[in-house]
Amino acid sequence: MNIKAIRSWFAQANAYATEVYNAPYRAAIARAKRDEDDLFMLLVFSELMGVPNPASYYTLELQPLLLERFHEWHQRMGIEHSPLDHFRCC
Amino acid sequence: MFTQKVVFIGGKGGVGKTTIASALALRCQQAGERVLIVSTDPAHSLADAFAQPIGDTIITLMPGLDALEIDPDREVVAHIERVTQSMKKFTRPDMFAEIERQMRLTQQSPGAQEAALLERIATLIDEAPQQYDRVIFDTAPTGHTLRLLTLPEAMAAWTQGLLRHDSQAKQLQGVLDHLTPKAGKDISNPFSDAREHQLSNVDQRAADITTALLKRQRLFHRTRHILTAHEQTALFFVLTPEKLPILETVRAVNALRKESLPIHGLFINRNLPQHADGEFLAQRRAQERVYRGEIETQFAELQRHYIPLLPTDINGIHGLQSVIAHLPW
Repeated sequence: MNIKAIRSWFAQANAYATEVYNAPYRAAIARAKRDEDDLFMLLVFSELMGVPNPASYYTLELQPLLLERFHEWHQRMGIEHSPLDHFRCC
Repeated sequence: MFTQKVVFIGGKGGVGKTTIASALALRCQQAGERVLIVSTDPAHSLADAFAQPIGDTIITLMPGLDALEIDPDREVVAHIERVTQSMKKFTRPDMFAEIERQMRLTQQSPGAQEAALLERIATLIDEAPQQYDRVIFDTAPTGHTLRLLTLPEAMAAWTQGLLRHDSQAKQLQGVLDHLTPKAGKDISNPFSDAREHQLSNVDQRAADITTALLKRQRLFHRTRHILTAHEQTALFFVLTPEKLPILETVRAVNALRKESLPIHGLFINRNLPQHADGEFLAQRRAQERVYRGEIETQFAELQRHYIPLLPTDINGIHGLQSVIAHLPW
């Protein structure tokens, strides 16, 4: 076994250890980020929920940018199928 | 003459806003200024005042005097067309008809026209002062205009809220990246390339969202800043010496003060001249005196300019000359 192989083995071990150590924090932060994203989606798509949106004219142009996130979001919000008539993701 | 570059003329319907605005524009033009007069009322009457067709693109009425009648519908259609195009990238072609139907409905949604109008006005306030010495807005009746003048505040607050959540999410993403320092790197990973590609795409989207929001926000902030600056904007109200216009103006002035928008003065239009004879008119004049007294106590701290009732209709540039003679400047 040469020095290079040992080094690479340590590097891998270190990477996995870091991942394991960070896992619980990562989950918490990821959840917090998802909550922020969900709130943002809610603000943009608020009219779906019957909340009048004062800036709907401006959020309209954000909708195409958010469509990729839309499917996950509406499922998390407990809506099984896409509530948007013009965009069917499922 | 006052020095503010941006001038708004407001007031109750039918008191002569367009006439006063047009006369003021002509007066400024005669003083050698480059003037742009803009009508924001969906029911335009600027073309009638100048007896000349005016449309949604700026036209030159005479050297030094340009005019524009904003058509919010055209703006809404263009905006929705842009969104529809980008929407189509994400859906199946057989859904296109559905999208277009939905977007047509959006055109009719309340607020869309208002927002489009606000956008045009904001852009004009932002850009026109570089080309013109004076930009005069002939506005729609009071309620509509009040809403329009206070809208930048509401819109800025709203985009601010969106941006805050966006940046919070980004911060958390940063922490997340820090916690997974080697994700897709260093360690041999057959999917690393694909993953990086996907992520950069998402990042681009996020950046686009922020850019779109920031663009709006900055425009609203600049508009708001100019509107509330006493040295840049002058708001005038037009009223007649009658009960209802006075009451409405009192409410409007109070609402604008609350928003700290600078009110420069009042035009009291259509005062019966002394030489109008007959008992009927004498009675009318006595009544007007009472209302003028009321105006003087209600608006004691505002500049008041009185314009008499003229014997004939004001028609075209020639007719406006007779109003200019009664302007204080």
